[in-house]
Amino acid sequence: MKIPQQPWQQNAFKYGITFLIVVSSIWSASGLEITLERIIDAPRQIGILVGAMFPLDLSDEALDRIIPKVWESLFIAWAGTVIGALFSFPISFLAANNTSTPFISRITKQILNAIRAFPELILAFVFLPITGLGPLTGTLAVGIHSIGTLGKLSSEVVEGIDEGPLEAIKASGGSKLNELTFGVIPQVIPTITSYWLYRFEINLRASAVLGVVGAGGVGAELINQLRFRDFPRAGTVLITTIILVLTVDTISAAIRKRIIQGKINKT
Amino acid sequence: MIKNIPKKPLPTLLSTIGIPFAIVFSIYSFLQIGFNLEDFRKNLQNRYIVTDPLFNPKWSWAIENASAALVETIQIAILASVVGCFIALPLSFYASRATNKNSFSYFLYKSFLNLVRTIPDLFWAMMFTVAVGLGPFAGVLALIMFSLAIMGKLLSETIDSIDPGPMEAAKATGGSHNQAIFTSALPQVLPNFTAYFLYIFELCIRASVILGLVGAGGVGRIIETQRIFLRFDRISPIVVLILVVVIGIEQFSVWLRRKIL
Repeated sequence: MKIPQQPWQQNAFKYGITFLIVVSSIWSASGLEITLERIIDAPRQIGILVGAMFPLDLSDEALDRIIPKVWESLFIAWAGTVIGALFSFPISFLAANNTSTPFISRITKQILNAIRAFPELILAFVFLPITGLGPLTGTLAVGIHSIGTLGKLSSEVVEGIDEGPLEAIKASGGSKLNELTFGVIPQVIPTITSYWLYRFEINLRASAVLGVVGAGGVGAELINQLRFRDFPRAGTVLITTIILVLTVDTISAAIRKRIIQGKINKT
Repeated sequence: MIKNIPKKPLPTLLSTIGIPFAIVFSIYSFLQIGFNLEDFRKNLQNRYIVTDPLFNPKWSWAIENASAALVETIQIAILASVVGCFIALPLSFYASRATNKNSFSYFLYKSFLNLVRTIPDLFWAMMFTVAVGLGPFAGVLALIMFSLAIMGKLLSETIDSIDPGPMEAAKATGGSHNQAIFTSALPQVLPNFTAYFLYIFELCIRASVILGLVGAGGVGRIIETQRIFLRFDRISPIVVLILVVVIGIEQFSVWLRRKIL
């Protein structure tokens, strides 16, 4: 019996890719001087570090320092998301090719791409001399980066809408503005809101990290405690951050699910 | 005339509570952050410290000093994404309802992946620099955790939605559970796995740029030292170089993804 084989071009392509991955991994490992001993030794070292963190430092003094910083991260993430949402919402209509002219759409998309290319941390330390050490810098960095990412995602949502309602509004004599407010926005608002929440989850992680360059938030606390080898306190920072992120993720995921599915059917 | 216009449904509980809460919380957040227009305007006069050097890039310096570190960044990203994704491959099958019927171990694997995902990439990097020493090895370990978490989440959710037919067929012909997964579930998700892998590789390239800020290797190390001295004339060409590399790799991976799927 003859079993049909895959065409050889496909196989050659597959083996080519596998070969490429293997070779580039070996090249990377040798370039970074990662030896077998270090890999074998790593779990033990990590074990020592984690062991040193427990029992956690839960003294009042530590908590008084850490908890406000954790909240600050939350505020930075939320305010940054609000900035991102407010600015990206109108921009997304300019960037979508069905609500804008081809020329404006292309330019706006390029601008959004350029914004998105800069990581928050790089934005943060460019703003730092202007806006000073503190949460304002972090908020601006997170906010501007969010404009880029939310603008792209939202414009894709706008591009994917059903054109029917727009035609109906046009047919009943509605203006271009009416089309936007009654035709486009009601269709896109659930998905875009869920993207905002999703971005908030990502921004929370980003704002936790921003403290490394002094832009506010809990990151500064972690890097300082690790530098001073105060591991129990570093552990407290880590655990409180995890609790905050987990809580926000859970709540936000539940709301997103609820928004996307619409009204729960009572059966 | 239409007589029975359906009434607009009452706003849901979520929107009646959620929207005012969101607005109040936004105002409170902005107050907490301490936005002060007066200070902002005063500080804005300092902008020349940044903008003047930022737009006078020193190209030769950057190419001379940053290219080796940039290669290191790419190596970190390659190694971490390959290792992370291949560790995540078996874990995802344990963290999916479709392939793991034991609800206790399912819960365990799922929570492990969630826990890894909550810790930001730079936090991992900080901890690994303390544990295994400064240098790219710490960066690789940090990004392994980062890619492991993302791949685990994406892939286990893909496995949740596979077609159970082929697995049943494999079991009906006498295959064990592992054989059924290997011959019927794995081929179904392999194209997704490849697509996710390329996506994670892109994320890793972006993430590895900033690892050096905490001493975990790569081009971030050079950015950090120049940043402290406010040498933005040296930073800006490095950032442009990074952007060129990142965009180049993205284009390559988009091309590859289209070719594979």
